[in-house]
Amino acid sequence: MRRGLISRSKAELPDAVLDARLAHVHAAMGEAGLDALLLYTNNTRAAGVSWLTGFVPYWSEALLVVPRDREPVLVAALSYRVKSWIERTSRVAEVVHGPRIGFEAARMIAAWKADAALGVVDLDGLAAGIVDDLRRSGPRLTLRDATPLFAPLRAAADPAEIALAMTAAAIAQRALAQASGRGASLGEIIAAVEAQARSDAAEEVYVAAAPDLGRDRRLKRIEGEAALGESFALRATVAYKGTWIRLTRTFSRDGAARPQEEAAARLAAAVAKLPSADGFAGFSSWLVEGCRIAQPLAPLMGSRVAAAHLLAPHALVSVQADFEVEGRPLLLAAPALLGARGEATSLLVQPF
Amino acid sequence: MLAEARRRHLLTAMADAGIEHIVLYGNAWQGDYLRYAADFGILEGHGIALVASDGATELFLDSATEAERAEAETPGIKIHFAADVARAVGARLDRLANDRLAAAPRRFLPNWLADEGRDFALEDATALLDRLLMHKLPAEIAALRRAAQMADDAYAVFRDAVKPGRRQYEVVADIEAYLRRRRCPDNFMIIGSGGKDVFGMTPPSERRIAPGDLVTTELTPAVAGYFAQICRTLVVGRATDAQRRAFDVFREALAAGIAAVRPGATAADVARAENDVFRKHGLGEYTTSKWTRVRGHGLGLFCDSKPHLLEDVDTPLAPGMALIVHPNTYHPEVGYVVLGDAVVVMDEGAEVLCKTPRELFEVAT
Repeated sequence: MRRGLISRSKAELPDAVLDARLAHVHAAMGEAGLDALLLYTNNTRAAGVSWLTGFVPYWSEALLVVPRDREPVLVAALSYRVKSWIERTSRVAEVVHGPRIGFEAARMIAAWKADAALGVVDLDGLAAGIVDDLRRSGPRLTLRDATPLFAPLRAAADPAEIALAMTAAAIAQRALAQASGRGASLGEIIAAVEAQARSDAAEEVYVAAAPDLGRDRRLKRIEGEAALGESFALRATVAYKGTWIRLTRTFSRDGAARPQEEAAARLAAAVAKLPSADGFAGFSSWLVEGCRIAQPLAPLMGSRVAAAHLLAPHALVSVQADFEVEGRPLLLAAPALLGARGEATSLLVQPF
Repeated sequence: MLAEARRRHLLTAMADAGIEHIVLYGNAWQGDYLRYAADFGILEGHGIALVASDGATELFLDSATEAERAEAETPGIKIHFAADVARAVGARLDRLANDRLAAAPRRFLPNWLADEGRDFALEDATALLDRLLMHKLPAEIAALRRAAQMADDAYAVFRDAVKPGRRQYEVVADIEAYLRRRRCPDNFMIIGSGGKDVFGMTPPSERRIAPGDLVTTELTPAVAGYFAQICRTLVVGRATDAQRRAFDVFREALAAGIAAVRPGATAADVARAENDVFRKHGLGEYTTSKWTRVRGHGLGLFCDSKPHLLEDVDTPLAPGMALIVHPNTYHPEVGYVVLGDAVVVMDEGAEVLCKTPRELFEVAT
């Protein structure tokens, strides 16, 4: 559950940006012959609805109903008491409250047009109970999977989203900079990282650690004691106003210099070749994540991803890599922006 | 070990019900069904555990990052990374289609997996899992006791963190940092500050704490995945007579609710005991859904578990159940007030886990 700052700034997410995104969706709906589009959100799959409205649920779930000829309506399982909070933190024309959001949404759409063609983004992944309620409450509605309609619209980042990602990355950089102190325990280091990120207005931060890279390179959430090895890695997954990035750094417990510049250069060179995977040939493992539909950091391509998704020009991604420099393991991650029209893909920030 | 004890308990329940394989769904909003069997605290994407009657457990995750974390955190469980987790689980279930299969919570399953057109049939085992989640093993109660201690300690930090001029999210940052220093990886927390203009709690905003504010919080740290909650209200500066009078109603209601907790009573009995106090003071309107969501709820692997304490919920209470009793609501003279303690149902009544005094605390301006 979210417990960082959730707020909407019209300077960072202006109405004109939301209008433009909605116009693209309306145009695509018109071409597809849809009367309404339905997007689901909860706190793990918020990046579709937040892209159109700014709304991020800290808890519970909601459906955004996007009629072709009206303003979007949010049907929220959150209680009526938080209506004003939803209105403060997002832009929706109307908020409807009810525990069975599928039932309420279908009733509303059917009242407009009983046999409406309803596009549902990620219909296969939508909760079965919600789909049951949609069918029960709107028996004449025609449900179609609208993922192929929505995913291409969501793929490319506009300047507002890039700016939010830059802020998220800056928060993560400042947070991980707190980890460079010597002599601290892993718990103290993680606390310092998280305190910095949340004080810098992160909407959420997940800190994962590989406490001893000599023994295990996998990053995990720390509960209980964990001794630091000669080198260790920390990953900060940071959300800022609905936009998510990952940043990973490798540290030496003794504070000795590490081949950071060489490692960063190798990562940047590999990233520059995206969407080609050729640059990652010498890496132990790598992963590119980004938003395709609603999951903020879904796997798009990588050494474990069997079926890679096509990376769109100007897509925001986070790239994680595991490789060795001078015989030592190094974990790095940073957000990047896919190039367009022949531009190289570039890191938004340096991991160090 | 706690996770192993839970898994044995689940296998016994599956055997009693004749279930050969069970599918358990989870995400970061509601991960308790998944965690019960797989002991994985999911943060991103969908997760589905498949548990066989011999105890073999597989965990399917659609986030590669989460799959790597699960491999590191849950030894003994076979992890599958699958971008389309529903079809990956479906392919596995196709090979088990002649067995008796069940799923929980069925309403949360990806629609593709629950579709009746599949070659396999999934019975709804939600009620079976709900029983296991509500009626806890001694080791689960022990984890809740540790979490309640953590909640008490964190509330003491909260009292120090609230200062005029600080923004709500800066206060929450202090609490989260404290919990991470204590190696507590998870917490659910909402906050409110102000006066009669505040109708509930939400995630922290940019609002600055001001003298005279009532500052409310629901603080819910997790130990080994088990969430224990405390609700308290404080005043920035000296409490007014109206604030003290209002708080006395909540203190009386909490005491009445806790006194009603005993084996054989129902969730409704506890809610009614709390609400009767408000009705006695002419505040019955503020016990309705317009002003308050629930009068408490279950605690465990989810911070808002069943049963919800409402006057129309007839779930009987039994030893081993854990609850938060919280008569939180709006008070027309002072604004939103919260007060709640985590309790465990024992043979003789409620064991109160929270030790923080039930006071309207005052912090310096």
